Amino acid sequence: MAVHLAPDKLADLETAAALVQPGSTVALGGGLSARLPMALVRGLIRAGIGDLHVVGSAHSIDVDLLAAAGSITVCEESYVGYEQDHGLAPAFRRAAQEGLLEARESCCDTILTQLRAAEMGLSFLPVHGVKGTDIEGLHPEYSRVTCPFTGHEYVAVPPLAPDAALVHAPVGDRQGNLHIEQPYVLDERFAAASAMTIATVDRIAPTDEVAAAGIVIPHYRVAAVVEAPFGAHPSSCYPGYAYDRAHLASWVAAARTAGGAQDYLRRYVTGVDEDGYRQLIGADRLEHLTGYRASDQAWMELFR
Amino acid sequence: MTYRFGLDELFVVELARTIRDAEVVFHGFGSPCATVAMHLAKRTHAPHALLIEGATYAVNPSPSFIAPSSNDHSLKQGSAYSMRFEEAFDMSIRGDMDLMFLSGIQIDPYGNTNVTAVGGMPHPKVKLGGGGGGCNMSATIGRLTLWTTNHRSGRCLVGECDFITDIGHRTPEGTRSALGYPGGGPDTLVTELGVFDYPEGRARLRRLFPDVTLAEAKAVTGFEFAVAADLAPVQTPSRHQIDLVRAIDPLGVRRREFRPAELERSFSL
Repeated sequence: MAVHLAPDKLADLETAAALVQPGSTVALGGGLSARLPMALVRGLIRAGIGDLHVVGSAHSIDVDLLAAAGSITVCEESYVGYEQDHGLAPAFRRAAQEGLLEARESCCDTILTQLRAAEMGLSFLPVHGVKGTDIEGLHPEYSRVTCPFTGHEYVAVPPLAPDAALVHAPVGDRQGNLHIEQPYVLDERFAAASAMTIATVDRIAPTDEVAAAGIVIPHYRVAAVVEAPFGAHPSSCYPGYAYDRAHLASWVAAARTAGGAQDYLRRYVTGVDEDGYRQLIGADRLEHLTGYRASDQAWMELFR
Repeated sequence: MTYRFGLDELFVVELARTIRDAEVVFHGFGSPCATVAMHLAKRTHAPHALLIEGATYAVNPSPSFIAPSSNDHSLKQGSAYSMRFEEAFDMSIRGDMDLMFLSGIQIDPYGNTNVTAVGGMPHPKVKLGGGGGGCNMSATIGRLTLWTTNHRSGRCLVGECDFITDIGHRTPEGTRSALGYPGGGPDTLVTELGVFDYPEGRARLRRLFPDVTLAEAKAVTGFEFAVAADLAPVQTPSRHQIDLVRAIDPLGVRRREFRPAELERSFSL
């Protein structure tokens, strides 16, 4: 929860990714198909920064790619997958089943509570549920606590203060002020509870413009900000672009085998930088994803 | 002229029937049938319900279509206000949400669900996606509508879950009241074969889909269940309800929950 006071934090992706130390606890911003910090995920994989303990709510290809790259030691997410559309996350599932990572599954509300404990400087907070489920057994760090007023026994959870929060925003300034659109998911809590926030933005803008749009994460939480156009692709970053359903489908199909997942990583991650990634996806395709605005029909057709 | 409709449409109508008017209703992510059911209820018998959309937390949206991913911004269309993540969870945890939809890869007779791992942890045979917010929310929300589209496999309704992610009426640690949970727990379970309720906290068959027999349902259920004395086919939907399902979900995202053979089932009015 340190504050970051440099007036200009604009960095390149390599420099920003290198702020993440191997072995650290990393919070992944966004969720499911929206605003995943994909440019930073790709940057971490290119830099070979691993042994990560990732935390978050419901996620998809960000965790799946890190799992495929062997970058994750502990996965403390509440969900990893592609919902009913593309189903289970193939690389994450394979790594969990083969014991290559520890799937320390958590719950969205438990993570929220633990972040709040960290924000408030408390040594624990109680959660209302979890007791009686098998999720509790995955977490030796949890305990039980009896309320001094009612005698009710709660599951007690420790504070969660990640070493770094990775967040992607549509727009931010050089100092690190970030505007994002709802759902913010846990990004505000991650930014407040973590030692630092590392941000990518589709576009750097003057502070006045970011302030007018609404600053959701303030500059003093942010250690570095990188301009990474389409940096959330293949997830969405509204109001810029919708998620790339076809690309997600192609990854899920490729990742059904370990070899296919490695082929994808070579082609889309380790074999290219972010400019090269955008060229591979193609300017026409990226432009197509911004076309959701044209009409409800155009928006719907993106997902057919 | 005969009006034909599919199981997916009838299934959504059955889910929608579990929503009452003027309730606060929430569905989780990855729940297209529940999403469509919420909008159907809002446009028919529950116009005053407060809908909270799965992963966008948009309040009372009226999207022009259902997107295949539940936190796509298209699902916020028509909503004047979106809750923050914290607001939605706080509301559910303090008990101000009346109804939530939950599914399970395994569901036991007490309505405990497993969405974490087939074969249990730490050595899963199949690592499933995970429970999202369910293991807290299932403790405190007023009541739960469970659903599955996988009853016929024989692997879903099981005597005992390999792992309990979300809380039903009783876990090995005790009943909901012994655990001190204020929420009412599972109220209804809708499967592609029929509809169960939970008198005494244990699943009881209440309705069957018109093309399903009691023997078929028993053969694929991994536990003994009581059968309601007035066991009957599910209520026939109206043409208006079916038309609305199609209008709400023109992409047919709801159909992705079903095996192809189930989508062959059709009914008529």
